[in-house]
Amino acid sequence: MSYLRFMPLVFKQVTRHRVRTLLTAAGIAIAMFLFTAVQAMQQGVARATKASADDTALVVYRKDRFCPATSQLPQDYTARISRIAGVTDVIPVKVVVNNCRTSLDVVTFRGIPKDQFLKERGDGLEIISGSTKDWLRRTDASLIGETLAKRRGLTPGMTFDAAGITTYVAGVIRSDDAQDQNVAYTALEFVQLAGRDQLGIVTQFNVKVQSAAMLEPVADQIDQVFATAQEPTSTYTEKAFVGKIADDIVELVGFARWLGLGCLAAVLALVGNAIVLSVQSRIAEHAVLQTLGYASRHVAGLIVAEGVVVSLIGGLVGAIAAVAVARWGSFALSVEGQSIPITAGPGLIATGLLICGSLGVIAGLVPAWQASRREIAACFRAV
Amino acid sequence: MTLIDCQQLTREYRKGENVIRPLDGLDLRVDKSEFLALMGPSGSGKTTLLNLIAGIDRPTSGQLLIDGQDITKLSRNRLAAWRATEIGYIFQLYNLVPVLSAFENVELPLLLQPLSRKQRQARVYEALERAGIHDRADHYPRQLSGGQEQRVAIARAIVTDPTILVADEPTGDLDKPSAEAIMRLMQMLNQDLGKTIIMVTHDPGTTRYAKRTLHLDKGRLARDEMVQDRIETHADEVNV
Repeated sequence: MSYLRFMPLVFKQVTRHRVRTLLTAAGIAIAMFLFTAVQAMQQGVARATKASADDTALVVYRKDRFCPATSQLPQDYTARISRIAGVTDVIPVKVVVNNCRTSLDVVTFRGIPKDQFLKERGDGLEIISGSTKDWLRRTDASLIGETLAKRRGLTPGMTFDAAGITTYVAGVIRSDDAQDQNVAYTALEFVQLAGRDQLGIVTQFNVKVQSAAMLEPVADQIDQVFATAQEPTSTYTEKAFVGKIADDIVELVGFARWLGLGCLAAVLALVGNAIVLSVQSRIAEHAVLQTLGYASRHVAGLIVAEGVVVSLIGGLVGAIAAVAVARWGSFALSVEGQSIPITAGPGLIATGLLICGSLGVIAGLVPAWQASRREIAACFRAV
Repeated sequence: MTLIDCQQLTREYRKGENVIRPLDGLDLRVDKSEFLALMGPSGSGKTTLLNLIAGIDRPTSGQLLIDGQDITKLSRNRLAAWRATEIGYIFQLYNLVPVLSAFENVELPLLLQPLSRKQRQARVYEALERAGIHDRADHYPRQLSGGQEQRVAIARAIVTDPTILVADEPTGDLDKPSAEAIMRLMQMLNQDLGKTIIMVTHDPGTTRYAKRTLHLDKGRLARDEMVQDRIETHADEVNV
């Protein structure tokens, strides 16, 4: 016999005990909101720092410097790096940030040679509004990341000011690269000269190599070439570079994992408590069901199903709220010009629901087993 | 034809060091379509006997054959399945599920049977109609009077067309007119549908609806009266 025929009974119990269901679901929703937010941060960290097999990007930085303001390298290193075997492209980048500390609202200007940038990165970027034509025409024009545009409410044609640089928004870009989300790409000379007089000085070189296998040998060779130069270099894979620069954030987010686990424990306790209270207040009701012919497994199944349904309601509300906040808020944790976006999608909602459903089952097992094993006559005597 | 056959039925409970024996070696036979009233002081074993016959309690010793089957030997699950088809239980305090409507309460036992929604609906309305409460099908227990609640409980008890109806003081919480109406309904179920009814009662007035009254005392049978006996006894008293 299909157990689905009992589901309307379960839904009636859940929806007609409104106060109990609302209070329990609200608690679960809050806990799942926090859990999903932590998961979103962890996903962002993983996306920004975990290397993949097709990574071919290196970042050349000033040795022993970890901040864009202090990493200053001569732009003419470009030619010497280009000559190293295995290197396919070198883009000198001048980075200026409006805030060196960890913040949710960092604007990073990346001054790059525009034509070279478009040639190298053009295929991986989607212009979602505006145009590159406008961007190439104006020296002060920027292509800005989607996240930055959303957060600051910027659209093509507007100008905005950050870090003492006033720039014209020529277009908004969408990219798979987490680092592009909070960035304003503009002309290299424009950033070098904007109130700083640093013509010929760049912050870093973004280097592309032929294959992932070439990353380490090329990085070693670059650092060897400049080992005795006045401005020696440290070369990292792009993901390792982000991980190193943003290690405080990575550590914090890693610690937040415990917060996430705490949220799950809270969900378990909440559902467990709700089920235990419900079972205790309905001893006679369950005894009546058994008198009517419901077997132990039926009673246990009804109790567990109620727990699962309440958990799923709370979990769905909490996870959707967290994903909505993360998406509409377009938050990114940024430090020293490197961004770790807080990313959340339907996958997180599905994960949250799966976890809530499982916790509902776990929380309901013991009270359900106890309730289903009680002697019926003893239950009637007890109430 | 014997439907219920209790042989040396004993039920004991342990309470600390003490052993309480509400039923002590009871022998009893109940025929099919009998309407049996169980009377006796508190603690005499009436409800215990009722619960044993209904299969919601197990005897400490003795045999309990119902329609030739010893239900004391059934496993927990098989006993539940047996109750679902053979027993209709009517409680003193109705014991309706408060968040379910009258219709939904009556439908509860049918969810265990392989019936379509439409078949269930037809059976529920039939039971409600028989119990005289079909016009309150959408009402919740809190919207019903005690008498109406008990009618819903009776509809729930008969909806599966069980062989035996057991009732534990079905009128104990009702005023006199409601109690009379419920007793007439039970009598109709016995006479028209041929249901075997075992009813615990403290009210001698309700025993007149039964065909037989059993008096229990300290877990043993004290007196066994058929309706005819009572009428004759009453006639003798009048003649004297």
